[in-house]
Amino acid sequence: MVYFLKRFTHMLFVLWTVATILFFMFRTMPGTPLAAFIDNTTTAEQQNALIRQFGLDKSLGEQYWLFLTNLMQGDLGQSFFFKKPVVEVVMEVFPNSVILTLTSLIIAYLFGIVAGAYLAWRRGSWVEGVGIPLVLTTRAAPEFWLGMVFLAIFSFHFGWLPAGGANSSGTDWSSGWARVTSLDYMSHLALPAITLAIYLQGLPLLLMRSNMLNVLQEEFITMARMKGLSTWAIVMRHAARNALLPVATAFALGIGGAVGGNVVVETVFSWPGIGRLLVNAVSASDYPLAQGAFLMITAVLVVMNFIADITYHLLDPRVRVAARG
Amino acid sequence: MLLNPKGLLRATLSAASMAALLAASQPAAAQSGDPIRKLTLISRAQAANPQQFQSAELIAQAWRELGLDVEVQGMPRPQQSDAVWYNRDTWDLTMWQMAGRPERSDPDELIYNLFHSSTRESGYNFVGYENLEYDEIAEQQRRTANRAERKVLIDRLQDIVNEDQVYAFLVHPLQTFAFDKTVWDASTTIVQPGLGIKNFWTFSNIAPLGDQKDMILNSSDELNAINPFYISGATDSWITELIWDRMMRIGPDGLAEPWAAKSVEWADDALSVTVTLRDGMMWHDGTPVTTDDVMFSFTAPIKYAPMYKPFVEGITNIEVLDAATVRFDLTEPNAAFETSTLAKVNLAPKHVWEPLLAALSEGESAESILEETRIGSGPFKFNRWASQQEVVLDANADHWAPPKMDRWILRIVLNVEATLGMLRSGELNFLSDYTGDPTLLIEAATADGDIDVVESVDVGFQYLAFNLRRPPFNDTAFRRALSAAINRELIRKAAYNGFAVNANSVVSPALSYWHKAGIADELPTGMDLAKTILADAGYVLEDGKLHYPAGTMETFDK
Repeated sequence: MVYFLKRFTHMLFVLWTVATILFFMFRTMPGTPLAAFIDNTTTAEQQNALIRQFGLDKSLGEQYWLFLTNLMQGDLGQSFFFKKPVVEVVMEVFPNSVILTLTSLIIAYLFGIVAGAYLAWRRGSWVEGVGIPLVLTTRAAPEFWLGMVFLAIFSFHFGWLPAGGANSSGTDWSSGWARVTSLDYMSHLALPAITLAIYLQGLPLLLMRSNMLNVLQEEFITMARMKGLSTWAIVMRHAARNALLPVATAFALGIGGAVGGNVVVETVFSWPGIGRLLVNAVSASDYPLAQGAFLMITAVLVVMNFIADITYHLLDPRVRVAARG
Repeated sequence: MLLNPKGLLRATLSAASMAALLAASQPAAAQSGDPIRKLTLISRAQAANPQQFQSAELIAQAWRELGLDVEVQGMPRPQQSDAVWYNRDTWDLTMWQMAGRPERSDPDELIYNLFHSSTRESGYNFVGYENLEYDEIAEQQRRTANRAERKVLIDRLQDIVNEDQVYAFLVHPLQTFAFDKTVWDASTTIVQPGLGIKNFWTFSNIAPLGDQKDMILNSSDELNAINPFYISGATDSWITELIWDRMMRIGPDGLAEPWAAKSVEWADDALSVTVTLRDGMMWHDGTPVTTDDVMFSFTAPIKYAPMYKPFVEGITNIEVLDAATVRFDLTEPNAAFETSTLAKVNLAPKHVWEPLLAALSEGESAESILEETRIGSGPFKFNRWASQQEVVLDANADHWAPPKMDRWILRIVLNVEATLGMLRSGELNFLSDYTGDPTLLIEAATADGDIDVVESVDVGFQYLAFNLRRPPFNDTAFRRALSAAINRELIRKAAYNGFAVNANSVVSPALSYWHKAGIADELPTGMDLAKTILADAGYVLEDGKLHYPAGTMETFDK
């Protein structure tokens, strides 16, 4: 319990630090939020009105205090650009980002775990000789290139999958749930998710493989072999379970990392997501929106980290002992 | 031609710096003045606008041959705007562009705003041009209701800008659009000069050939707002003009024509105009459009819509004459009133907007209102807007000019290359935003066979702006020399792949009535000519580095 509280306080501190850094970072960035309106803003009077409206006429200290107190109440402010509450703007696309991230992570990790375990088992064979370079190559391939290749093949050549967006044009849905569970949504999700999964699979695969190599040296594996168990049973039931723990942590952290880091895939496939939102917000100097979106990503990352820590703590007695010591 | 253009301009443009130079009284015997400092040419970053960046590189290369030290600096748009627009004394040279818009079909908006000295401080005249003769003619053309007489004045203004080379104009790009001719009847598209086939008239007129009655078009811009009192992004305006009607609209010939108005009649003194509303017009919620709504739409901007305020400021009084007729009284005759006011201001329903405006707190404007029903009276009704994905409009069958399509669906597609594949696969059937290489589009269309590509000259233009507040750009001869050194033909071919026409005026050749024919050829160019102009004006090349004329020191606020 004490450990839990300690970690919780730690988490809040991290969030506050990030929020503060974000606040000052965007305000020291070159450019002004007025620039986003430049083509239409002509008079000094109009500029001043905008500055007042955005609260930029207040001192930096005042602005910071307002920002923090609003944040405590869950209010991320009003987007300069969209003139809507930041939470509303972010929440419109956040589910898409989470779905894309989770789908691709699950594909990547399922594949990575199985393939990693297999490659460890077949160490030194020709399978490894082909497999490892292949994994490293796909991992190193730029996402946009991979995405364009997939588009060229699956959308434009064969016409199997749609090339952009999250839904076919003009389709109506009774609810958000009906929309994301529809075949239409999934067919739009397929290409971006697979592109992202290919990019993400390298880490769990290599991690799994190296853990497995360690575990396979251990005595209980020798014991299992002596018992005459099948290869599958030894690799999957005995060795893999023990090698999984670090991979699980990487998965949790991967969620946070990937939610905001999908700009490239979102752009290639015109997928509505938080990465695109972020890029726009930064280039339009929309401080509240950029802060809000970054903060949201940080929150996911920190919370996932927290959950990973806690589960680790519960699952592995060695961590518990170390924490106490 | 001016009687003595150089002399007059020197006097008006650089009186201050000349005075400073005289005061400095350098010995007249000196061979040359100060060396010209290192000049920075600002451009959009290469990745964001490759054509512009490449043009900047070509220009810098040419100028280096004149003995100038020029550095091209690419930066994102907000930073560029910040440097050029908000800190007007601090930059030397920048690449810039003016976009084509329907209301720019009347030359007034660009002719007046870009160069009139009243917009020098914070308006469009960011280069700091000041020419009393220009100001006078620019004001006079506004008061000239006779088109032929006004044309003479507009020509004169184009000449002055050419003589002074206030900008070094580069090109009017060609716009390329495409559509699936098996879905849409090609003979029902309408070309609007400067805007191509992507315009209000095509959308309201184009006829489907088969079962596909939804137009699916694309934009690479994320939308900002859909609000009748807010001029937000470029793509946003495609939507607002379909939902909200206007008294007049800019027609396919570039001139304003009555739309929601049945008739528009000017008084003989051109100080008032009587407008009669069409019969039986309805808002999308079924209530009738009244003269009260008209009055409201033209008065609300004064207090609540800062971006529309300039367009209604010239109205002194609006009088409702009867159930269908309204008279606008103007402070002075205004030749651009139809284009810049009657064809610009959106008609918004009073019963929806009045309560919303009344609820605004101090300092807020109509721009911050999110009216989600978006009730207008136009040929399309708002259906929905899914952020980063699409906007869906439904055809308004009750409109007096009902569209022939069922729905107008704008997809946000960021990947330019993907739009070509989408057009071929049917995910798009009207390519309304294509910034990629036009040759690729033409190749794709040829390979497909079902796609029509339509090109047209843009109302907008690409140019290089000199900061006239700073030497050496306050010297007309220097600007003329620099402009002469630019190889526009090379830029047109290399940077724009041939998909552009040379420019030398703010009035595009797309506006055939107002454009001064042949003005692009009136600018003599060539490297040798540039060197001659510089030598004649006293600039000296020493050790490969260009110096100011004898006795001239480089003085300006840094």
